[in-house]
Amino acid sequence: MKFALFLGCQIPVRLKQYETSSKAILERLGVGLVDIEEFNCCGYPLRNIEFKAFLFSSARNLALAEKKKLDVMTLCQCCYGTLKKADFLLKESASLRKEVNAILEREGLRYEGEVNVKHLLYVLHQEVGIEAIKKNITKTFKGLRIAAHYGCHALRPSQVVEFDNPVAPSIFDQLVEATGAESVPWPMRLECCGAPLWGINDELSMDLTLKKLNDGKESGAKYLCVACPYCHLQFDTVQKKIIAQRGVNHPLPSILYPQLLGLSLGIDREILGLKMNQIPSSGIEKLLIEPIVLPRG
Amino acid sequence: MKLGFSRRVLNWFKALIHSRRFSQSWMGKNLSMIQLMELDACTHCAMCTSRCSVAIAFEGIPNINILPSEKIASIKALASGRPIGERELRDILEGVYLCTNCYRCTVVCPVGIDLQNFWIKVRELLLQRGIPGLSVLSPFSFYRGLMKGETAQGDYEKPLIQAREAIAAQCDLMKKKDKVLPLTPTDRKFKSGLNLSAQAKNFSVCFGCQTCTTVCPVVGNYENPQEALGLLPHQIMHAAGLGLRDLAFGSNMLWDCLTCYRCQEQCPRGVSVTDVLYELKNLAVKYVKEKVL
Repeated sequence: MKFALFLGCQIPVRLKQYETSSKAILERLGVGLVDIEEFNCCGYPLRNIEFKAFLFSSARNLALAEKKKLDVMTLCQCCYGTLKKADFLLKESASLRKEVNAILEREGLRYEGEVNVKHLLYVLHQEVGIEAIKKNITKTFKGLRIAAHYGCHALRPSQVVEFDNPVAPSIFDQLVEATGAESVPWPMRLECCGAPLWGINDELSMDLTLKKLNDGKESGAKYLCVACPYCHLQFDTVQKKIIAQRGVNHPLPSILYPQLLGLSLGIDREILGLKMNQIPSSGIEKLLIEPIVLPRG
Repeated sequence: MKLGFSRRVLNWFKALIHSRRFSQSWMGKNLSMIQLMELDACTHCAMCTSRCSVAIAFEGIPNINILPSEKIASIKALASGRPIGERELRDILEGVYLCTNCYRCTVVCPVGIDLQNFWIKVRELLLQRGIPGLSVLSPFSFYRGLMKGETAQGDYEKPLIQAREAIAAQCDLMKKKDKVLPLTPTDRKFKSGLNLSAQAKNFSVCFGCQTCTTVCPVVGNYENPQEALGLLPHQIMHAAGLGLRDLAFGSNMLWDCLTCYRCQEQCPRGVSVTDVLYELKNLAVKYVKEKVL
């Protein structure tokens, strides 16, 4: 199993811990990764400005992966949704494909629709498999209540992204529970984190984030678990600002899924970069227990 | 591919002497001594452009300032005091704004210029000068939001307000007090323009059930959504169908859309609501750009 790892623009500079923790767990689980240095922006922010600019950006990445005959794995759900959208549009329309390829051919690239784009969670669930993950687990969590945040651009539009059931998804919950943690049901689990409006309409963005945080707390969760840099930055860096500005008494810390799984796999905490999360999440380690080894016979 | 140490020292020394000519201009006065030297040290080798995350966007948006090596050349021209028109300033602003702040340009620059910081600095200078740009209403603003504490509150809000005002100024129908619309505002060119892709051709099959509006978390956030947002999602689909450009562009709903795809997922008629909103934003950006300058 080998993928071209698509990191996007946010992770390498603002969320290094997501990269290091993902690489560590994937190595442990036997998933091979290839870095393609030439990858560019997935096109997500460009979608608001100019359709073709978004499409060319996305298609160039797909073409780079196609040239290496690799499928793409993203860690970001916005990158995932954008690349899937471009792939969908290009498969649907021969004229768009032609236009895109005319641009790409200038640097010796072409996109014929041979690449599958997958998100980290999907790869872990569908390709590695829950059983294989469980076999690698060395410590499990006990009494840890997690609110799994699915993220919009992974789930919807389902016709395009084909990630999980858009109304009743379960893969993230299963992945969280593989570590021994409890994935709590919470009414707002499929709602947006608020990040797409951060920097555009901060009051509205904060309203939406705060609603989700309160819902998670009321549902008994002690931590949020996410698998997208935008969601994490919103629930981490931006939550800190919300706490200061809106007088919230206690945070609901966010932890990245590979950090959670990494602790369970016994991976060095420095590599997982728990300390790099703005809102401290290191208390989570106290809930890890060594497995009880049953005597043989 | 960094230059050798002695070569770099020599370059910096030359830059220090040459950079003094920048210190008289408006741009020059607002840049630090180091940045003035950096401007002179740039050899226009275009390494930055070859590694830029959004350079490919230039193929869709023909603004040369999207490319870092050309951006820095424009900034150099600004700093040297060459008279520059409003239109060119707007293009430079667009160029520095359409940046994902990935720092790759800074990392690869063989002379060691901190290009990323240039974009951040010049972006703020141009925004504060009141150059209008709708790019601020896109997720390109996310990083600016994260760095919010570094700008004074009023300065932070100003470009966001200006962008909304620039749109409102082009949307006369929104200002009609009696809310009675003339029967003939159908802009066929506008309606037929909504075909950038197959994704957004289907707004006309909307039968007005309001499911999109009911599930929208943004609408749900307000006591009186119409007051805050203008037209709501189902009404925007209608406005698109009727060719009422002003109403579609001028509604805050369009710019406050999270793109969470709740509406599109739930639409019983299969209208690509979110994708239509995306395309409307694309058209509005183009329209306002053409009208304003």
